[in-house]
Amino acid sequence: MLQRRTLLVGTAASAALLLVRRPGFAEEAASYVIGTLFPMAGPNAEYGTIFTAGAQMALSHIAEDKMLRKPVELRAEDSQGTPQGGATGMTKLASVDHAIYTLIGFTGVSKAAAPIGQRNKVVMVNGGGVGPDLSGLAPLFWNVIPLIDKEIAAALPWLKAQGKKRVAVLYVDDPLGNAALKQLSDALPANGGALAGSFSIAPTAQEFGAIAAKVRDSNPDAVYFASYGAQQAQIIKQLRDNGVSQLLVTYSAATIPSVRDLAEAEGLVYTSQASDWTLGDPVTQRFVKDWRAKYNGDPTTYHQNYYNAVRLFGLLAQSLEKQGKPVDGEALREELLRQRKFALVGGEGTFDDKCNISFPIQINQLKGGKAEKIG
Amino acid sequence: MLIVQLLLSGIQTGLIYALTAAGFALIFGATRIFHVAHGATFALAGYAFIETAGAGLAWPLACLVSLVVAVGFGLAMDAFVYRPILRHEGSFFTIFVAAFGMVVVVQSVLELAFGRSFVSYSSPLTRAAPVLPGLYLAPVFWVAVAVTIALLGLTSLFLGRSRAGIGLRALSESPELLRAFGLSARRLSALAFALGSALVVPGAVLRAATSGLQPSIGPHVMLISLAASIVGGIGSLRGAVLAGLLLGITEALVVSVLDTQWSEAAGFVLLFGFILFRPSGLLGQPVAR
Repeated sequence: MLQRRTLLVGTAASAALLLVRRPGFAEEAASYVIGTLFPMAGPNAEYGTIFTAGAQMALSHIAEDKMLRKPVELRAEDSQGTPQGGATGMTKLASVDHAIYTLIGFTGVSKAAAPIGQRNKVVMVNGGGVGPDLSGLAPLFWNVIPLIDKEIAAALPWLKAQGKKRVAVLYVDDPLGNAALKQLSDALPANGGALAGSFSIAPTAQEFGAIAAKVRDSNPDAVYFASYGAQQAQIIKQLRDNGVSQLLVTYSAATIPSVRDLAEAEGLVYTSQASDWTLGDPVTQRFVKDWRAKYNGDPTTYHQNYYNAVRLFGLLAQSLEKQGKPVDGEALREELLRQRKFALVGGEGTFDDKCNISFPIQINQLKGGKAEKIG
Repeated sequence: MLIVQLLLSGIQTGLIYALTAAGFALIFGATRIFHVAHGATFALAGYAFIETAGAGLAWPLACLVSLVVAVGFGLAMDAFVYRPILRHEGSFFTIFVAAFGMVVVVQSVLELAFGRSFVSYSSPLTRAAPVLPGLYLAPVFWVAVAVTIALLGLTSLFLGRSRAGIGLRALSESPELLRAFGLSARRLSALAFALGSALVVPGAVLRAATSGLQPSIGPHVMLISLAASIVGGIGSLRGAVLAGLLLGITEALVVSVLDTQWSEAAGFVLLFGFILFRPSGLLGQPVAR
């Protein structure tokens, strides 16, 4: 009898312990968990390092300012830059790590992870992927980066003004590259230009000597390429080495050291969201000052975006805490759409109904390893 | 003229593939060890060259450092990874997993030491200039041709004429017979790894100058080496070189008739073709079942 009673008490105690330990049942989790779903290995791993650095600085500022009642923990999953990695990583972040807010990048990864995040009521904030179909991907999927359609729309009038009418397009055969090709094919004639040729490449391709010969053969005035990661640097180097001397144009994915430090990238033109590090608002000033002190150089727009993504969480959660509301995916979205405007790095960020931020676009050119604003 | 240009581009790419695959073919041919970590040797050799040349070392010395690193890694793999496994069980799967593990370790070490970015060696030799209207050629093309011919010639001479070379050829056939002739299978195996790893250096240096490197290049290199070894005939050095050339030319020429993204896939279609219709490869010996 005693044994049976002991067993029952033991079972009840274990069950109670399990329930108490489960966040959200008997007590709230001891910290807020923010998940990151970035490529941390493989040819796109450089982005993971960059994205994480921006997020970490925002976390340290949130902690310094004691913005929230609970600490914020960062849990990382490697997306490998692939849709499969995105789906697996998001499942783990939502189900195992119980993240309520995640940072995500890459168009293919985002599209694979979004349904899983939405189903688990996890907010997903993209600061790196620019495929136009990321707009309104899911109610809990937000963009703190202008998408590529905005960048191409800014690049085309500039190309026209430079007299670059025939444009060859080199694009990765994935959702991002195909979207870029479609927009360029549609918009070039309207801007007085023409598509000199379109050349698709596999996301894993590393040899571009033969493609360079075809690009040269199409006799363009400029070459627009839509790729990302280490592949961009390989494209630039091999196009230049193989006699393609025309103007090379691309989008904000080129704001990485691999491209910036490449001798062959001299003169590369690329669009990006406006990043004015001389702005006088306190948020931008603090970010730039601390960044320069820590890294001895200027931040990039990706650092800015993921800083903003984490700062946004701090602002929203702080507001919810003050209102006595729970900090979860639905409440965060409601609060975002209620406030809409936030003091972020780069000035005031405004979100539309699909939770996309709007920032002006600028045109940059690499000169001597440094980006110079030219439009 | 586009076809000629594509053919020349293909030859240049193919020669680099050939140099990449030659070492793997030599090691596999002599030891029958499926040296997946050959890709890691390639990455280490390439990074050693870029980092030392970037630090101001003259390029011949940087090549020498690269050679020392590659040979050192190859010998270490033989002594500390393969040999202990072979002493106990020596199953293909165990060797494969151990070697693959080393590829991951080397990739992580390179990422920690040099970052995850793309790196390349900038040289005027890679800049193509017009030689005929519409036809561009870079000096590195001739470098690749000369290095491949020289290396293939020297290696063939060594394998065919020297006692150690003949021993290497015999190693995969009958280690017991080698002992009868007073040769050490262990030393010959180490020689195969040293020579095979040394052969990777020209490919790694040329690749660093033409396409650039990143820490995750190992598996890609391995894929090319494997494809070239199968198409060329398992274990045949000359076959691997020919197959590397064939793969490069196929990848380049296919874009004249198909969409450009089929370039890389075309090489593997060729591989499947050989597996289905000529499993012994270009210069391999058919084996009766």
